[in-house]
Amino acid sequence: MTEPAVHVHNLWKAFGQQLAVAGVDLTLPAGKFIGLVGPNGAGKTTTLSMVTGLLRPDQGTVEVVGHDVWKDPAEVKARIGVLPEGLRLFDRLSGRELLAYTGRLRGLPGTEVDKRATQLLDVLDLAGAQHKLVVDYSTGMRKKIGLAAALLHNPEVLFLDEPFEGVDPVSAQTIRGVLERYTGSGATVVFSSHVMELVESLCDWVAVIAAGRIRAQGPLAEVRGDAATLQEAFLELVGAHGRDAATDLDWLGGGSTR
Amino acid sequence: MTAPAAAPAAPAAAPSLTPVFVRLKLSLLRNGLRQSSGRRAAYVASAVVALLFAALQLLGLILLRGDEHAATVTVILVAVLALGWAVMPLFFPSGDETLDPTRLVMLPLRPRPLVRALLVASLVGIGPLFTLCLALGAVIAVARGGAAVAVGAVAVPLTLLLCVALARAVATANVRLLTSRRGRDLAVLSGLVIAVGAQLVNFGAQRIGSSAEGLGELEPAADVLGWIPPSSALSAVHATGEARYATAAAQLILSFAALLLLLHLWQRSLTRLMTSPDGSTLAAAEPDRRQRGGGLFARLPAGRTGPVMERTLRYVWRDPKTKAAWVTSLAIGLIVPVFNALQDTGSVYFACFAAGMLGIQMYNQFGQDTSAFWMVAMTVASTRDAYEELRARALALLVITLPYAALVTVLTTALLGEWHALPETLGLSFALLGAMLATGAWSSARYPYSIPQQGHKNVAPGQAGLAWISIFGGMLAAAVLCAPVLALTIWLHTAGHGSWTWLLLPVGTLYGVAVTGAGLRIAAPRVARRLPEILAAVSKG
Ligand SMILES: Nc1ncnc2c1ncn2[C@@H]1O[C@H](COP(=O)(O)OP(=O)(O)OP(=O)(O)O)[C@@H](O)[C@H]1O
Ligand SMILES: [Mg+2]
Repeated sequence: MTEPAVHVHNLWKAFGQQLAVAGVDLTLPAGKFIGLVGPNGAGKTTTLSMVTGLLRPDQGTVEVVGHDVWKDPAEVKARIGVLPEGLRLFDRLSGRELLAYTGRLRGLPGTEVDKRATQLLDVLDLAGAQHKLVVDYSTGMRKKIGLAAALLHNPEVLFLDEPFEGVDPVSAQTIRGVLERYTGSGATVVFSSHVMELVESLCDWVAVIAAGRIRAQGPLAEVRGDAATLQEAFLELVGAHGRDAATDLDWLGGGSTR
Repeated sequence: MTAPAAAPAAPAAAPSLTPVFVRLKLSLLRNGLRQSSGRRAAYVASAVVALLFAALQLLGLILLRGDEHAATVTVILVAVLALGWAVMPLFFPSGDETLDPTRLVMLPLRPRPLVRALLVASLVGIGPLFTLCLALGAVIAVARGGAAVAVGAVAVPLTLLLCVALARAVATANVRLLTSRRGRDLAVLSGLVIAVGAQLVNFGAQRIGSSAEGLGELEPAADVLGWIPPSSALSAVHATGEARYATAAAQLILSFAALLLLLHLWQRSLTRLMTSPDGSTLAAAEPDRRQRGGGLFARLPAGRTGPVMERTLRYVWRDPKTKAAWVTSLAIGLIVPVFNALQDTGSVYFACFAAGMLGIQMYNQFGQDTSAFWMVAMTVASTRDAYEELRARALALLVITLPYAALVTVLTTALLGEWHALPETLGLSFALLGAMLATGAWSSARYPYSIPQQGHKNVAPGQAGLAWISIFGGMLAAAVLCAPVLALTIWLHTAGHGSWTWLLLPVGTLYGVAVTGAGLRIAAPRVARRLPEILAAVSKG
């Protein structure tokens, strides 16, 4: 086997008292569609931020395509594309200006940037809004322009934090198409999500994270194990199986005021 | 010619529309007040204050009658009032729902009767009543003789209509802007306009207070304003009283023409608005003028420098917070030296204020990016990248600052007539600018803080200390950095080498360049090393 796309060893991060990531070890193979799943607050965003160099870990090492993210940022940053969650874009630029800016910042020649931007805007169905300021985009459109900006320099590894959040089914299908073709050419996509059906239908490799720790990782079939669906296996792994909300919220429903 | 009110355009529908709108306005007002007692109290309180103020104005103006400066004062008052009417819809776009044309789009109304009905409806309210009091008082103050009173009887409604029509025309013309997100950003600038306006008023008052002529100082201004509607209507009353009938007639005709023009413009934009798509979708359909990406920006250097400069300059114009900061700096950088020069209390050295104020924009560079800084962090992989990033930002700043500082310096020198001091002042300005850029780059790297995007605050909670260190520490450091050039200036003057002060221009410029270069080089490794920390610090807004 070739060298892994991402290798994370013993990664820790605490925000004050709150332990967000507690000793994550991950080895993600290259050329795969990889899903990072976990409940809210599991540490997915924190992990991805540390892996992409946007957040400094308290402890641990991260290697992307064989280069240490913190010791060798030049090698890593040129090879990865990122769509973070909860961070803004330069949203006072229009969609096209944003792509032109990012592409040229990445060192691509202007004509090449324009060509790629036009194609990406077309494929992602943003051509009609390309001259609108990103601040006036809808949530889904913002995800899509962020994805375009992340893809522009044809990275080897793409990190996407909840790329399908707020995206309509049609656009989701489009994004899937783009990403599948992209991994088909040997690139790696790592994305986080809570939507198990989506992960199950898209990914060949899954890592389950809960409370800052990896609960399982491996090929989809392996993680799913004997369970009928990934959803079942997931609930089992994060220890939420059998928890019944109905008993706690017995006042909810029926419309009576008491 | 027929006045617009008697236009034969809509024979059957016209009589009914106007009362409908007036009633609509009244019931909206009533319903609004019924909603909550707090709102009612606020409305009543503001109405009482406004009416009291109006009554006092009226009284004051009546007392002013016969004063030699009455004409000057009234003309200026009305001009200020009209200005208020013109800018109000920009800052309080949702003030009057009846007048919001976007709500009328669905109705099958023809523009001409609609304009008439809207005009009449907008005469209902405290604002128009206030204006009426002021116009009435102004006429009483200046009208002398029967003819003047007759003209005044025309001038009062004319002034009122002009004010209201002006507000409506501005509001309608701007409705596309105001219904977009970008337009609401204007609100951020409102505080600023008020601040600068207060400066100007303060300056004017000081001038009037300090000069022997008093109000007479304002006469030239009043002479000009007297020809600008709606002040022209009042000027006509005054002119009639002085038997300058030709002037009076001209000013009156001018006022009428202005009213017709405003109504015409209003009607045109109303028609366009009602027949074209909703404002929120307009931006997407905008012509492809930006596609070229050419013009000025095409000539910017390649590599990181070009795109970063381009983005920075676009943000100066498009980002409300950045724009407000720039406008403040530009305004103060001009007002302080020029006003001081005008008052003869100034010195040429005040011209350095322009460079100093604009240099502040280099501070907290990354805070201005907000959390979008991650896009920069993702592409900065070495000290070299960080250096180029900082240098590009400094260059973008210089594109505006250099010509502006030079202009202010020349202007100040010209006002004071001290041309011999021009080179040294320019040199000092450039040295100061260099020092500001250097310390600004360094403190951007060392003490970044978040600028919240909502509201008027410029520092995120808990980071005020950081902001103070960043800016005031930086400015102090900049002053210290300037010391060598300052010392040279002082030495040249005290040692009697006054004829050599031109040397300060090349020396100051070179010093500024050198100090900037050094500052950027010291700041760059810090930025490259602290990217995640900077991102965390600027993402709190
Ligand atoms: N900047 C921060 N300051 C303090 N605590 C934080 C910060 N960022 C994350 N946390 C905490 O770290 C934990 C992990 O958060 P993280 O955002 O990584 O979760 P996540 O898996 O991405 O969740 P979600 O699915 O809701 O996006 C949470 O408990 C969160 O409260
Ligand atoms: Mg998350």
